[in-house]
Amino acid sequence: MSKTVMIVDDSATMVLSLKSTLEMSGLKVETASDGLQALSKLKSGTKPDLIITDINMPNMGGLELIKNVRTLAGFRFTPILTLTTESQAEKRDEGKRLGATGWLVKPVAGPDLVKVIKQVLPGA
Amino acid sequence: MGIEFKKNLVVFHDVASVEDAEVLLEWLQGKTGAKADLSACTHLHCANLQVLMAAKPSIQAWPADAPLRAWLESALVAV
Amino acid sequence: MNPLLEQFLSEARDFLQGIGETLMQLENAPDDADLMNELFRLVHTLKGNSGLFDVPEMTRVLHAGEDLMDAVRNRRAVYSRSLADALLEAMDFVGMLCDELEADGRLSAAHGGSSARLVEALRKPIPADDNRVAAPEPEPELAPARPTSTLDSADLPLDGIPEAVRMQAYRRSCGGECLFWLDYRPDEQSFYQGEDPFFLARQTPELLWCGIQAREPWPPLAELDAYCCMLSFQGLTAASRADLEEQYRYVIDQVRLTAIPRLALVIPGGDPNGGPVYEDFVADARALLRAGDLAGLVRNVSSMLELSGPDLWIASALRWLQLVLEIGQEEGAVLDALVDCLESLAPPRWEASELAAAPSAASEPTSDRQDDAPRAEHGREAPGGERDALSPLEADTLTAVVAAQREVLALSDAPAWLPGRIKAAAEALAGCLRAVDAMASLQSLEVATASALEARSGAPLLAWIEACFPADASIERGPVGLAAEPESPPPRAGAQRPVGEDEIKFGRRAEDAIAAPKSLKVDQVKIDRLMDLIGEMVVAKNALPYLAGRAEAVFGVRELSRDIKGHYGVINRIVEEMQGAIMQVRMMPVSFVFQRFPRLVRDISRKLGKEVELILEGGDTEADKTIIEALGDPLVHIVRNSLDHGIESPGQRRAAGKAATGTLRLRATQESDRVVIEIADDGKGIDPDVIKRKAYAKGLIDETVLEQISDQEAVNLVFAAGFSTTEVISDLSGRGVGMDVVRTAVEKVNGSVALTSRKGQGSQVRLSLPLSMAVTNVMIVVSDGQRFGVPMDRVVETVRVPRAAIRVIKHSQAAVLRGRIVPLKSLNELLGLAAQPKSNDDDELAVLVVRLGDESLGLLVDDFSETLDIILKPMAGVLAGLPAYAGSALMGDGSVLVVLNLKEIL
Repeated sequence: MSKTVMIVDDSATMVLSLKSTLEMSGLKVETASDGLQALSKLKSGTKPDLIITDINMPNMGGLELIKNVRTLAGFRFTPILTLTTESQAEKRDEGKRLGATGWLVKPVAGPDLVKVIKQVLPGA
Repeated sequence: MGIEFKKNLVVFHDVASVEDAEVLLEWLQGKTGAKADLSACTHLHCANLQVLMAAKPSIQAWPADAPLRAWLESALVAV
Repeated sequence: MNPLLEQFLSEARDFLQGIGETLMQLENAPDDADLMNELFRLVHTLKGNSGLFDVPEMTRVLHAGEDLMDAVRNRRAVYSRSLADALLEAMDFVGMLCDELEADGRLSAAHGGSSARLVEALRKPIPADDNRVAAPEPEPELAPARPTSTLDSADLPLDGIPEAVRMQAYRRSCGGECLFWLDYRPDEQSFYQGEDPFFLARQTPELLWCGIQAREPWPPLAELDAYCCMLSFQGLTAASRADLEEQYRYVIDQVRLTAIPRLALVIPGGDPNGGPVYEDFVADARALLRAGDLAGLVRNVSSMLELSGPDLWIASALRWLQLVLEIGQEEGAVLDALVDCLESLAPPRWEASELAAAPSAASEPTSDRQDDAPRAEHGREAPGGERDALSPLEADTLTAVVAAQREVLALSDAPAWLPGRIKAAAEALAGCLRAVDAMASLQSLEVATASALEARSGAPLLAWIEACFPADASIERGPVGLAAEPESPPPRAGAQRPVGEDEIKFGRRAEDAIAAPKSLKVDQVKIDRLMDLIGEMVVAKNALPYLAGRAEAVFGVRELSRDIKGHYGVINRIVEEMQGAIMQVRMMPVSFVFQRFPRLVRDISRKLGKEVELILEGGDTEADKTIIEALGDPLVHIVRNSLDHGIESPGQRRAAGKAATGTLRLRATQESDRVVIEIADDGKGIDPDVIKRKAYAKGLIDETVLEQISDQEAVNLVFAAGFSTTEVISDLSGRGVGMDVVRTAVEKVNGSVALTSRKGQGSQVRLSLPLSMAVTNVMIVVSDGQRFGVPMDRVVETVRVPRAAIRVIKHSQAAVLRGRIVPLKSLNELLGLAAQPKSNDDDELAVLVVRLGDESLGLLVDDFSETLDIILKPMAGVLAGLPAYAGSALMGDGSVLVVLNLKEIL
């Protein structure tokens, strides 16, 4: 059964780049362009096995999204990775405190992405 | 997928997810002399593992996957 | 083009636009934290995106911009205009690179210098103490809570590991690998962070042995919380510290790594009682050791082993002695100690010095003996100094790679692909830096690469190599031959290939590449094509009434005719709706034109030393794309005029009792089917007397007019061709053309322009344009047997005038209509047709009264025909040079209708 990954990023370029890599690895991909959109998708039945979210987004940023996701019944244990840059160490830590599983550092190279996903998603 | 309960036996298939642990625990709480079949198991979430460790069902079959078996034996073989 | 690049470029332009706009807003509200955050987010995201491509010049500049904005929003740097200038310039540069990427699919090598200069300008406002030029922030997982080996290996339950496993580990350690004891205690709440500690532990690289334990005795099952993690994981692994830290990077604070000296594994175990008598064996062994006869000792050990039961403690000790002898890497003291323990039946007690010495006795300097050495110095050391984290094989490879780059860069030829060669070498060197975790040196590598590319020479990179990977003995030790082997790591073409593969893969995904398709970006060509098609549809539709007419008149089937007409009604409705829908697609907000003004006004006013506040209103007013685009140039001209001639310098304004800062207001509104744009300033206004004198001096008006002309009329003279009030032609607006250019441009799209001004208080220009120009309502007139279209918005009325009522005044014809004298012109004459206008049976002439500006004028034609909605196509090709025609349209019967451009022919 193929796993579903949700990508949340306001940059369509970043979404496209990640989506291509993931789909080529046989994963299903859902996308959202900010935290609000992601939340409403999660509430309306989308059930990703992993969420990858950018930090800086309009409307609702990644950190707030994480906080909210953890309060949703079906997503207490869902792995969440933040998308950060190398200079955002404090955001990564904050993300972890709020319930993120780990982080990815942009630019995310395809093989690295796949590797990390294999690491957090048993059966992927 | 996941775990399947038969009378006194719990059978693990593929990957047992974190959500399965709650069900597994409930099931084990109501059983005495429970047995577990792990032969088709490729992974079980840590939560399932500790439930098994605490409940100590007798392991009827170990996973076919040798490294997984080594890990589980270290935790589940009665000392 | 690769769809990802396409997406990037399109999005990058939006971001650049957004950055520009936000900067403009910040000019007015430099303390607005939201704006600042927004600006940071835009630059940050754009930088992140650029990292997906091989565009280091762009990424570098954006990175510097991001750092600067970060410093500003954290109040470490102060927002200022010069700071904004630096950022704007940098974004212009990025925009230029985007253009180049779009045109060529890649960047030329020539941008290193500009990029470096811009980076410097962007870094300047950041206080030096946190300037990250030299050292990008250390990898955060290294800084805090690094797993240190506070445990002595002696305290670890190593004897719980089966002897065979320990022996295998011992062998691997002797082979140059390092050994670690891993102790992973996941946080109790870790499941709620989406973690599966067991899954993570299972993936520990190079695991030799593993174990799981409960941290506390289990509570009764009824009280167990399945989701509170109570486990701990142990393991013995031969992976490098770097690999382990990589594997556990998200939970590094929950992991303890302890380096295991291989002698710590030498723990005999088993039944301490029984077995043959060993005193003689021990005495012999000591003698053999003293004599250096290791072969003899090996023989004795194996025969002794045959005599001992394998489960005995003694047998275990013998097996260790055998192994140590076999591998032969230990000092004599180790052998002595092992022999001693056969006598004492106590495990060998390795001295700290022996433990420390043992690994280094191995042939290669294996890694983590200096486990507790401060790795916090990470990044400050020269990368070469980090090599102790590498296995001997890795170290050799590294040496070889660096040597290969050195060779390649030292080549003295200068082929066309030199930039490619330099980039490939830089790429390989960057890989080396990553391998030794010396990320801090990446920056200096980039700088060296940029100057190498600029100088078209490998020398700067060679110098960098010498600084970072000094060619000392240890690094040269690597087999030089390796460097020449083709499969040796990356240097040349190989480095690029994976990128190409990615492109192909992305290409395959092009069809589902659009994320969240709530709004689409559609190529203009496609919309134009839709417009053309709907135009054809209108034409085809118009053929139906004609067909109905024929059905009845020619074939006499009235019923069919009625059916056709009925269907025509249906199709007509659909076509009209469709037309409306397509028009809607073409609608664009005025903000599309407005958005360039904040920057323009800022730049010009700074250049002129004026203070101007720009107010934009009604940016969401929509109009057809053609109209919006036609607005651009006239607006720029008007705004420049206002800045140049209207708004005074702060000094003059204060002297006139006004605020030092002038106001320029652009406002768009919709008035029925027209969009109105007003450009108002509170500058010095236009002096009608100056205009009059000027117009007179230029011969645009004569003395009589000069006397009679009203102030408003005088002001309107600025629209006269060739009028310009500037005494000195500035490089901004007064380029020898005046407002007449604006008028012409606006009228081209059926718009009008009006100017009002009050001396000393400012001027207002009002542009009125149609919402859409795609569908034109025309009246068809017939003249000399030909049909012509006249735009309905010009037509005032159609009248038939008795020939007798036409007067000739001087040489012009005129008629009195509704009490006004209307000049008459013959259309035939205007078009150069020889025929006279035809009258009807009552000897009346057909007069089409049209409006031209504020005047009315009568056109003498032969007859009037119907009015029609047409899609007006501009004249193309050679015909485009004929100003008398506004364009043409295809009729339902297949004929072509030309539409007159009345302004031109009159």
